Amino acid sequence: MSRRTRAAAVALLFTGACSIQHYQSTFSDAAVEVRQFNILFVIFLVICAIMYLAVIAFLVAGLVRRRRRLANVMEDGRHHESDPLLRTALIGWGVVVGTGLVGLAIASFIADRSMANAAASEKLSITLTANQWWWDVRYNSADSSKTLRTANELHLPVGVPVRIILNSNDVIHSFWVPSLAGKQDLIPGRQNDISITPTKIGIYRGQCAEYCGAQHAHMALVVNVDSYADFLKWWRHQLQPAPPPATPLALAGYNFVTGRNCSACHAIAGTPASGTVGPDLTHLASRRTIAAGTMPMGKGNLYGWVADPQSLKPGSKMPTIALEPDELHAVVAYLETLK
Amino acid sequence: MSSRFRASLLILGVAATALAACNREERHSRAKPIGETVPTGQSPDTIFPGSTTAQPLDARASLYDNNAPALSEGQFLYTRMNCVGCHSHGGGGMGVALMDDEWRYGGRLDQIAASIAEGRPNGMPAWRAKLTDDQIWKLAAYVRSLSGQPSKDVVNSRADAMSATSPATLTPREPVRSSDSAQQ
Amino acid sequence: MRRVDTAIVVGTLCAALFALTACDRSPEPKAGAPIVSANLPADGNRAVPSPAASPADDGNWVMPGKDYAATRFSALNQITPANVSKLALNFTFSTATSHGYEAPPLVVNGTMYLVTPFPNYLYALDLTKPGAPTKWVFKPKPLAAAQGVACCDTVNRGAVYDSGKIFFNTLDGQTIAVDANSGQQVWRTQLGNIQKGETITMAPLVAGGKVLVGNSGGEMGVRGWIAALDEGSGKVAWKAFNTGPDKDVLIGPRFKPFYAMDQGKDLGVKTWPPEAWKIGGATVWGWLSYDPETRLVFYGTSNPGPWNPDQRPGDNKWSTGVFARDINTGEAVWYYQSSPHDLFDHDDINEIILADIPWNGARRAALLRPARNGFFYVHDRRTGQVLSATPYGYINSAKGVDLKTGRLIPVAAKEPKPSRVTRDICPAAPGAKDWNPSAFSPLTGLVYIPHLNLCMDEGVMEANYISGTPYLGADAKMYAGPGGNRGVFTAWDPVNRRKVFEIKEDLPLWSPALATAGGLVFYGTMDGWFKAIDARNGKLLWQFKAGSGIIGQPISYRGPDGRQYIAVVAGVGGWAGAIVVGNMDPRDPTGALGFANAVKDLPMKSTAGGMLYVFTLPR
Repeated sequence: MSRRTRAAAVALLFTGACSIQHYQSTFSDAAVEVRQFNILFVIFLVICAIMYLAVIAFLVAGLVRRRRRLANVMEDGRHHESDPLLRTALIGWGVVVGTGLVGLAIASFIADRSMANAAASEKLSITLTANQWWWDVRYNSADSSKTLRTANELHLPVGVPVRIILNSNDVIHSFWVPSLAGKQDLIPGRQNDISITPTKIGIYRGQCAEYCGAQHAHMALVVNVDSYADFLKWWRHQLQPAPPPATPLALAGYNFVTGRNCSACHAIAGTPASGTVGPDLTHLASRRTIAAGTMPMGKGNLYGWVADPQSLKPGSKMPTIALEPDELHAVVAYLETLK
Repeated sequence: MSSRFRASLLILGVAATALAACNREERHSRAKPIGETVPTGQSPDTIFPGSTTAQPLDARASLYDNNAPALSEGQFLYTRMNCVGCHSHGGGGMGVALMDDEWRYGGRLDQIAASIAEGRPNGMPAWRAKLTDDQIWKLAAYVRSLSGQPSKDVVNSRADAMSATSPATLTPREPVRSSDSAQQ
Repeated sequence: MRRVDTAIVVGTLCAALFALTACDRSPEPKAGAPIVSANLPADGNRAVPSPAASPADDGNWVMPGKDYAATRFSALNQITPANVSKLALNFTFSTATSHGYEAPPLVVNGTMYLVTPFPNYLYALDLTKPGAPTKWVFKPKPLAAAQGVACCDTVNRGAVYDSGKIFFNTLDGQTIAVDANSGQQVWRTQLGNIQKGETITMAPLVAGGKVLVGNSGGEMGVRGWIAALDEGSGKVAWKAFNTGPDKDVLIGPRFKPFYAMDQGKDLGVKTWPPEAWKIGGATVWGWLSYDPETRLVFYGTSNPGPWNPDQRPGDNKWSTGVFARDINTGEAVWYYQSSPHDLFDHDDINEIILADIPWNGARRAALLRPARNGFFYVHDRRTGQVLSATPYGYINSAKGVDLKTGRLIPVAAKEPKPSRVTRDICPAAPGAKDWNPSAFSPLTGLVYIPHLNLCMDEGVMEANYISGTPYLGADAKMYAGPGGNRGVFTAWDPVNRRKVFEIKEDLPLWSPALATAGGLVFYGTMDGWFKAIDARNGKLLWQFKAGSGIIGQPISYRGPDGRQYIAVVAGVGGWAGAIVVGNMDPRDPTGALGFANAVKDLPMKSTAGGMLYVFTLPR
């Protein structure tokens, strides 16, 4: 590769890295944890780059010097003393490597301990239970009547340390919101946890990071980081039960949802439907995606999902129900009122 | 042809045959066709006046019997639809035992599916409005696995709950008798 | 090898083998001789039944508890330890049902009334004629589908006689009043809805012109309530729920719970996650007692739903606790929660005995109750204050009861949590004692408690609510507790708070007890032995092998000929006997909510039945 091409490639790499949008990016600094990880990453990169370059330099030097030295040995036939310069260089290299490793260990230790300390000052606790293939979210509260159940979306207040307790109902999943924190597995039979302290308001995308079955790719999580006031407003709104149906079509939908298949798995607060097998639907229409990131929320997508979930997310636990057309209209009309 | 080339050709041939013989069951994600209902009716051993033969097994049963994904889904539904609350892990309780050899209302796959869909007089709820026919067939297939009916390479070797009965891969196959010693 | 070496090796091997064979890892416990640990309480230091609630004995048995104080004590004294060995069978009667028989026969002036488990037949037998022929049968014809939502066998805990009528409940949620002479229906009121998973199995309480009825279904996501029907018309006079806002629970200005943990507004909503109280349990399927002096009715509420505690953070009021309500209006007067945020299905519906006890030199109006969580509570009857809470069985799931705050102190390691199986929880879900009531004898001052010694393993998972189906989220396996015996009969001194004697039983004891003034106590075992023991020291004086296990209330009455009779109906079943009546498969240890594992041998020791046995001394 010519020098010009090489320079262009490097430049492209850097611009690419800089222009990454922070919706789902490990290079963001939207949370304390991910910022610490990135600082650690840069420290590792710099020290290891220095080591790498030094090794390359030694290799080159060794190749060049050795060619000249070989001729002398062949001529004399005697054993020569080690090159004092080389000896010093090697000792110096050992010291540099040792210092470098110690430095890396200290950096890693500091980063780890500071994240553990953040865990001690958690103010908000969320229990996340992973199912195939959706996220069951429960906001815990000392006042049990303020606990909240929702699905596939997290709302976090900016600047507040949050502890997320991780459970799984079936197989191993992994919680990963790249812009906010690293990965942590959700393992059936074991309870894990992870701490997040978001620092930037915005919307971030997370996804399942451990292969968990046919629809592992459609198991995304949307995280909204809001101001504290907005967060409390959201929480208060989520505690409201579903409004009663206002139109005859919505009423027909309500009757179907509570009387037929839907209520066997789903819960809608304020109605007799109290199923826990599938996501809580009380505020379904206020979410950004349907079916854990399979499609964006919208009327048409809701129609498609309710009519035939198996064609959009084959293998998911929501069955394709043989709905009559007017039943489908009624159900979607009712679901749209669940804001 | 060198001997080495002949040997590798032979190995390739054997491997190809083995793969072709590997007939995995079909995994379907919805019933075919959608909206068909499970069959109705009494035990195949009921007396049908005027005929001398039992009713044939419903054709759809073959889609679910000995079908590993169906059994796995059935196991999931058995717990989450609260079958386990009445029937435990086959031992019974409020409901009858499902791991023994007595089937009050018939133990064939289509008859079990009918019992789930229609309910039965002494307290079995009717699930027709709450579960799709595909889900009901899958549940019926799982119920049969509690008494060891499917072959051992399709059943789920892992229970999702605290260990109770012996694993499905070790459950001996019980005979299926349309009998009822409780007589009610 | 040298001879000596060989001898040593062989000798050691033999010794080891011998030790191993002698090492009895799973002993076959048999009913043992009574173990006497203490003396009877002294004369002045005894509890006595509350006089207003326990009038003089007229030789009848008109309510399951014998009187409003729930003493289950008969003042008849013809049968004594000296002559009980001659007690003989006088007549029998087959109830034609074969599910668990938990009810007492009622005897009113020469007629005996029997109410059966589903289909809840009501028989009237004429005791004045030899062989007690049937006078009439009333068949309520309850819905057959109700059998599918009855958690623990299709039992009925008894009828009640009052003002010429017999009152009883049917499995499908009706309360029926039948004329005691003619057997004609007077009124019938539908209270429960089987579509929601509700049934009714309890025996009503009739007092002050009201018939008090409560529902069952804590395992089915039912919302618990207690209702009072007008005795003459059957119309609902008042109905109080046990979860939800204060206006539904009939909590008003008169409500004064003793402890801070039970004080606050709308606790029936605030101590639950949103909406969870609507399917929260707290049913009333057990025993009610009544104080005619203060006109208060006392009863306990069942477990909260679901069994999985992780799904319902909060104290879950007003479940697993005891209410005192005014019988006229239903207003709550006080409440005490025995197990806040119940972890183990420790319903609080056990019998509540009204007694006056010596306390710090004075007489104090008290309530005595051996509760499911293993503690014997003594309360002040007027305020609900816990005077003492002493373990009467082995408990490792709670450290004790803090008498200052009134709160049960749980052991964190024993809490069922998702993602783990919690092992060795004692007492198990049926508790140190389940519904089967104890008897109280004023002559000895002791409470005679037939109860359990069971521990369990429990695993929890998320429960799914579908009305009309179980709402549990738990698997359990029960087994014998320390000692290997699954049942135990304890004579308890409530004043000095200690066991006086105890009798170990192989099988769990699921039968109530009867105490008589003759100095005897009667109870039955699950394999059918009906036993009479000496009330002072527990010595077995007489026993009779019935055709089926005994889980029903034994009674004593004065027959038309003036003789004392002892009657009991033998028919194994209930939660403990489900493995027999349900024809269950013993290979599944989680069957019958875990009980099957504890009584795998029961089908060989008792078959189902429903036979009345009446005994008396020969002339």
